[in-house]
Amino acid sequence: MNDTNPHAIMKQPLPDSSATTPPALVFEARGLKKDYDDGRVQALRGVNFRITQGEFVAIIGPSGCGKTTLLQMLGALDLPSAGILHYRGRSIAELPDPAGYRAREIGIIFQAFHLLPTFTAVENVQMPMFETDRPELSRTERAVELLKSVGLGHRLDHFPAKLSGGEKQRVAIARSLANGPSVLLADEPTGNLDSDNTKSILELIIRLRREQNMTLVLVTHDLNIARMASRTVQMKDGLIVADHPAT
Amino acid sequence: MTFFTIIVRGLQRRPVRTGLTLVGISIGIAAVVALVGISRGFEASWATGMKVRGTDIVVSNMGSALAPKPFSATVRDRIAKLPQVADACAIYADLTSVEDASMMVVSAREWGGFSWHNLKLISGRMPHDAMEPAVVLGQTAAEVLKKKVGDPLQLETKELTVTGIVDGGAMVENGSVILSLALFQNITGNEGRINVIDIRAAPGLTEDEMKHLCEQINTTAPEARAMVAGEHLGNSQAFRFISAMSWGTSLLAVIVGVLGVMNTMLMTVFERKQEICILLAIGWKPGRVIRMILWESALLGFLGGIVGVVLGTLAVKVLETLPAIHGMLEPDFNAGLMAVAVALAVIVGVLSGLYPAWRSSRLTPSLAMQG
Repeated sequence: MNDTNPHAIMKQPLPDSSATTPPALVFEARGLKKDYDDGRVQALRGVNFRITQGEFVAIIGPSGCGKTTLLQMLGALDLPSAGILHYRGRSIAELPDPAGYRAREIGIIFQAFHLLPTFTAVENVQMPMFETDRPELSRTERAVELLKSVGLGHRLDHFPAKLSGGEKQRVAIARSLANGPSVLLADEPTGNLDSDNTKSILELIIRLRREQNMTLVLVTHDLNIARMASRTVQMKDGLIVADHPAT
Repeated sequence: MTFFTIIVRGLQRRPVRTGLTLVGISIGIAAVVALVGISRGFEASWATGMKVRGTDIVVSNMGSALAPKPFSATVRDRIAKLPQVADACAIYADLTSVEDASMMVVSAREWGGFSWHNLKLISGRMPHDAMEPAVVLGQTAAEVLKKKVGDPLQLETKELTVTGIVDGGAMVENGSVILSLALFQNITGNEGRINVIDIRAAPGLTEDEMKHLCEQINTTAPEARAMVAGEHLGNSQAFRFISAMSWGTSLLAVIVGVLGVMNTMLMTVFERKQEICILLAIGWKPGRVIRMILWESALLGFLGGIVGVVLGTLAVKVLETLPAIHGMLEPDFNAGLMAVAVALAVIVGVLSGLYPAWRSSRLTPSLAMQG
């Protein structure tokens, strides 16, 4: 484990609620648009929002409203067609090294887990670390520690096919934390899980976010999940139609 | 886990397809190893044959035919008079079918010439004189022709007697039917004609002096061309043609291998499209994905090269046991050829992986969100 990592698991103090400095701005979008098929499909039609450090934002809305597209923009998985999208004051569209941004700043959790089937749990968690200068031994140690932190210390050498849905998502969560990101992007992380696993996975994500003061942007269509967030952003037809703080 | 582990796992994903691709490359490389090894071995063996006969310079007219073109036997006497020529032995060498053997070296040598001296009798005797209707057989030739001392041997229209079995000290010598030049000229109606002259230069000549002597011989005997022993075969158009054919056939096999690897790697990229997108989404740079694909195809090539070298060597070993060519092959499987073959396989692998790697780098990480 890299002790110097600012986002190292369970090594970070909780944010000081008495601090007077406002939390740093992480994302800012102004007039953000995304078109497909030469403009025939408008997935985002001018989205405006600001997300600050440590926020837990749930993005809700019906299928096709642009939730996942927005998440892709935040993760620099795709580029906006128009508008401004900044990460900590820098334009995501003009990042000199978008892969490096994804590797170091962002952790992504997918609905379908997306573990690589020919690699064990501990190997899957190491994958993002190949873009860092961690030596092999350190990569393994870090992956083992992350898997232990998500309760999978006994499943290190299991291949995905031998893991349950909940366990796969725990491996995926551990993988998303591999390089100590400051932002977690979760796309329907419990969409493929039963209710018991949904609860425990959400608790895990929320606990890790709190422990490491990460910003969490979670896409869901489940209002019960959205209620756990500090803020709910509702989307419809490529636009943000409501933006509510936690009640 | 290292990056190499990821490469190996990529190939282990589809073991049958990886195995079949390996077979494809290895057949191509086996062809290279076998054909080029045989071709080089033949050249090396010919050079050894010259060495054991004590020949420094060979005078012949290696045209486009497999055997040298004949010229007047008087050339031999003209050359022998040159001051730096210690000895000369006229020869008529032919590649022809002898009884059941489809192709055999028939070496008719000037009676009493030095080219007889290296022959060690294993059994029987040498012919008594230049016109005795007799031949001696190299030990391999005797095996191929299934002859022993005292057996008759049909050469052209004449029946000769095998009087001896000899060890010539080189594959070419041991695979030859050897007889007196005068007798052969008489049998074939080629009186006064020869096609090779073995020359022994005066002792102590330097390489430059040897080349100078060749030039002198070429001036004295424009009917033929003198070359330092060992080099003359490589200058033969026929040998060059055979050599080119070996490489050409091999390269065709290698091209098939290239297409096989390219197909496999394209399928790999196609099948692992989402996996590659996931890697890009979690922070892998396109360059790393390209390296992964190229290393996989290079490893495929390397393994195919190793298997191909083993297959090619084994194939020639099996060929050597066939009665029709037993003893005719002395392949040159040196480390250099093996290294070139494996390097060729790796290059094939890398080249085949270029397009699939480029395709993989064009994938967008957002596809990882789909499915």
